[in-house]
Amino acid sequence: MNLRLHIWRQKEPGAQGMLKTYDVADVSEHMSFLEMLDVLNERLLENGEDPVAFEHDCREGICGTCGIVINGRPHGPVPKTTVCQLHMRSFHDGDSITIEPWRASAFPVVKDLVVDRSAFDRIVQKGGFVSVNTGNAPDGNAIPVPKVNADLAMDAASCIGCGACVAACPNASAMLFTAAKIGHLHSLPQGQTEKGARVYNMVLAMDDEGFGACTNHLECEAACPKGISALFIAKMNAEFVINSLL
Amino acid sequence: MNTELSGRTPLGSLADKWEKHKNELKLVNPSNKRKYSVIVVGTGLAGSSAAATLAELGYNVTAITYNDSPRRAHSIAAQGGINAAKNYQNDGDSVWRLFYDTIKGGDFRAREANVYRLAQVSGNIIDQCVAQGVPFAREYGGYLANRSFGGAQVSRTFYARGQTGQQLLLGAYQALSRQVGLGKVNLLTKKEMMDVVVVDGRAHGVVIRDLVDGKIEALTADAVLLCTGGYSNVFYLSTNAKACNVTAVYRAYKRGALFANPCFTQIHPTCIPVSGDYQSKLTLMSESLRNDGRIWVPKERGDTREPNRIPEDERDYYLERKYPSFGNLSPRDIASRAAKEVCDDGRGVGPGGKGVYLDFADAINRLGRNVIEDRYGNLFEMYQRITGEDPYSVPMRIYPAVHYTMGGLWVDYNLMSNVNGLFVLGEANFSDHGANRLGASALMQGLADGYFIIPYTLGGYLASTGVGERTEAVREKATEAVQHSEEKIRHLLAIKGNRTPTSFHRELGKIMWDKCGMARNEQGLRSALVEIPQLRDEFWNNLKVPGTGEELNQSLEHSSRVADFLEFAELMVRDALHRNESCGGHFREEFQTEDGEAKRNDNEFTYVAAWEYNGNNAPLMHKEHLRFENVELATRSYK
Amino acid sequence: MRRLIEVWRSTVFQKWVMAVTGVMLGGFLLAHLAGNLLIFVGANDMNAYAVELRELLHGSAIWVLRAALVIGLVLHVRAGIVLAQRNRKASGGRYAVTSYQRSTPASRTMLLSGLLILSYVAYHLAHFTFGAVHAEYYHYFDAMGRHDVYRMVVESFRQPVITILYVVAIIVTGFHLQHAIASAFQTIGINHPRYSPVIRMSGTLLSILIVIGFISVPMAIIFGFVQ
Repeated sequence: MNLRLHIWRQKEPGAQGMLKTYDVADVSEHMSFLEMLDVLNERLLENGEDPVAFEHDCREGICGTCGIVINGRPHGPVPKTTVCQLHMRSFHDGDSITIEPWRASAFPVVKDLVVDRSAFDRIVQKGGFVSVNTGNAPDGNAIPVPKVNADLAMDAASCIGCGACVAACPNASAMLFTAAKIGHLHSLPQGQTEKGARVYNMVLAMDDEGFGACTNHLECEAACPKGISALFIAKMNAEFVINSLL
Repeated sequence: MNTELSGRTPLGSLADKWEKHKNELKLVNPSNKRKYSVIVVGTGLAGSSAAATLAELGYNVTAITYNDSPRRAHSIAAQGGINAAKNYQNDGDSVWRLFYDTIKGGDFRAREANVYRLAQVSGNIIDQCVAQGVPFAREYGGYLANRSFGGAQVSRTFYARGQTGQQLLLGAYQALSRQVGLGKVNLLTKKEMMDVVVVDGRAHGVVIRDLVDGKIEALTADAVLLCTGGYSNVFYLSTNAKACNVTAVYRAYKRGALFANPCFTQIHPTCIPVSGDYQSKLTLMSESLRNDGRIWVPKERGDTREPNRIPEDERDYYLERKYPSFGNLSPRDIASRAAKEVCDDGRGVGPGGKGVYLDFADAINRLGRNVIEDRYGNLFEMYQRITGEDPYSVPMRIYPAVHYTMGGLWVDYNLMSNVNGLFVLGEANFSDHGANRLGASALMQGLADGYFIIPYTLGGYLASTGVGERTEAVREKATEAVQHSEEKIRHLLAIKGNRTPTSFHRELGKIMWDKCGMARNEQGLRSALVEIPQLRDEFWNNLKVPGTGEELNQSLEHSSRVADFLEFAELMVRDALHRNESCGGHFREEFQTEDGEAKRNDNEFTYVAAWEYNGNNAPLMHKEHLRFENVELATRSYK
Repeated sequence: MRRLIEVWRSTVFQKWVMAVTGVMLGGFLLAHLAGNLLIFVGANDMNAYAVELRELLHGSAIWVLRAALVIGLVLHVRAGIVLAQRNRKASGGRYAVTSYQRSTPASRTMLLSGLLILSYVAYHLAHFTFGAVHAEYYHYFDAMGRHDVYRMVVESFRQPVITILYVVAIIVTGFHLQHAIASAFQTIGINHPRYSPVIRMSGTLLSILIVIGFISVPMAIIFGFVQ
């Protein structure tokens, strides 16, 4: 199939960017979206042009490195799919596709489609862990965890930190990311001891990074490639107020 | 010329060695720990766990990753699970059995003492991870669940859905993040290691390049830990992440570290087959699928019927037929080779005949679709996304793909290379898996090295050598190493030829897969030794890299990595050529039994081949003879 | 104290302020609706209700209620504006192409609908509570000498302008509520995979009922059911 791409090109942080149009011919429907961009980049390189910078690594939907907005949707049109696992069979011959980076003040553009997501790491550094030094641990079976809780924890923990939730949110809020980490740890007995401090510090860190507030659009839930539920946001909201005021 | 290496394994009985060694290692006084600085390169399972644990102990730690976050390291992609000799299932597991399975699985090419230690600490890893909040799968009673993996007859694999690597890495990442938050780890992201600063046989630091602004600088420290993963991407197509590379360990090799057993590469039997020339990487389907999936091909050559229309008696469940006691759970090297064999026989399925079926129909009939969905739901979804086929109704098509590299920098029992103060952890070292790694053992090894081994052995090293003085010689060497790296970058940019780095990488990968892949022979290896240098010459004369070295330049990053692969590939081929035997992942066609099984040569090759860089001349080989005092060198049989 | 300030300034707490005051205002709206519907019972009951409301607890109750409402309204509006500003800053220039999946026109226009409602409320108070506009309908007294609320309402709604403004404002309010009700539950932490869809649907249903309830009054007047 033949496609027309409108891709955001921006030389460096803070520079003026713009959408540039590229035509790509003979795209196979078995290609992944990123492989289609590889093909474009090889051609640009051969023509001596600067290839489109985009982030990617594992290309199997788990590392969370890739992430671009395709026709207004983070990770493209297929639900619960990262862009590296999005295949061209989801598009048609003659389609016009607009490709933009994640947009949020807390995720400044580094180059083209690459953004700086280190804000996520800083939120985790403020409390997204259990304070247990290596060697402290009791036997793994010492504390039974009800299967439903373990499953719920796993649902939240499957977050890949890609930032699609922020990109999808009209407010660029990082609530789903933050709530997923909190929800993961708070569903387990191991996460209980530091519960109050964790939710307090992480919410404040999230605000400090300049993310927006949640207005319950639920775009995050729809965009999340791992299908993480906004249920965790509700839990975080309750825990934050209960733990900070009591 | 060739010297005999010693793994410096402690004396004593196998079971007591580690305990005894820990008691004998010197200790660093708690208040002195902060005087020592340690650089950890790589933030996967081994790197993150080591950096976090060393910071908890009080060392000054700098952690470096080329990704934008430590959580992106490729450990995250491990699906199936992590082994531990907990015997929670009461099925007869023990430290000894895990040790024995691992050393047998590795085709008796690993160091006994290291493997035994790995089995000993395996249980602690599970405990530690549970305490960190890793959401392992649980039974309804709330206790930890297990499943089976290839090469074992007990159920000892702990898992978190099909995302075990992710959850373990996030556990280590969280521990690391805690130390970063406390100011005890200096985390540097988007920095790639370019060189090691070595003075008088001791590592004093590394040279790093900022991938965003291109700045190259030297960092000094009292010890350097390389936790930089494997080199499967020398094949271009592998299940590794795109950025995985050999650069860090290869440049350490060029500074004097020995490279051990580079030809030991693992081909994973269950990957999604290649679909076209544009393909950028291969996707693994977890080995755990073989718990319930049955592997088969049609009995007749060129049978192009739909799989569901081929009757039962016209199917060849070749693993069950050839290896009745392990069946579909035969180890990876065996299962991969068997798949290649049936495809070479013309009975492969799918486009190009490069595939075999992995069929869940029986399991779905027996257990119901819900159970299968619960166990493998995310893997099935992934398969469907990539291929557009529904594995609940049509059997999956799979084919082997390069997955893991057992070879790596040579290390002694303390995980230190022959360069003092240069430690190597996880997949980057050669130590525990011999010639073939069993499923669910990579996660175990990475975390064992990082959480439970390096904290002791690094302390022992630092206590006995003291702070590495930043002498004039060190400063000079650091400056020189920085200049050397800058020069290399300038050189890549100055070629201004016509071919892209990817095209060279792809071509190299094809040479390696054809000549040094699942099956190797002398003739092929010799021709690879001619083709690789030719390709390398062309690379240095005809490479095209746009842009500059002072900006985010992904083509430049890639070129620099491909340059190292082009040198390293030759070393790998040399190693494969010299090892006149078949063992584990290294299958030499000349050395096989009549029914096509690998034929080991224990008399001549029970050693680790550790290669020393020798400038433009052929590398020198050193041998570490492996002594098996506790296990008998048996022919590996899974029949 | 520093902690309290930090909590107060946090986005999550401001959302709570929004939700809790929203629930208060919503409660008021329901009570108001109940009062309005007295028009279908008759002039006597409606005017009696008005007097009772003013004289409850020697006239203090209405002031307490009014104070609470004013505080609630101020906090609600303030939180809305503060968060909207923050969100605008955070979203950092949006996309050339947008494609929403779960958000609704209502959810995306809460600030606008809120401000429209606010301006209508000001006008509405000036009209029915203070008699500052349309004063001609304000000074009626019934046979018992009570403020004739019933007649004020009936005659006011016979004016097309007043009715149109009113109907538009109620529809905008319904629109606002449609997102607000489910949203408030989510904000204060009530979300369950089993019940949330029910909550969301009930929220929409309740919004529609409120709109119908409020609009039924002028409709009844215009079509002569209420004289």
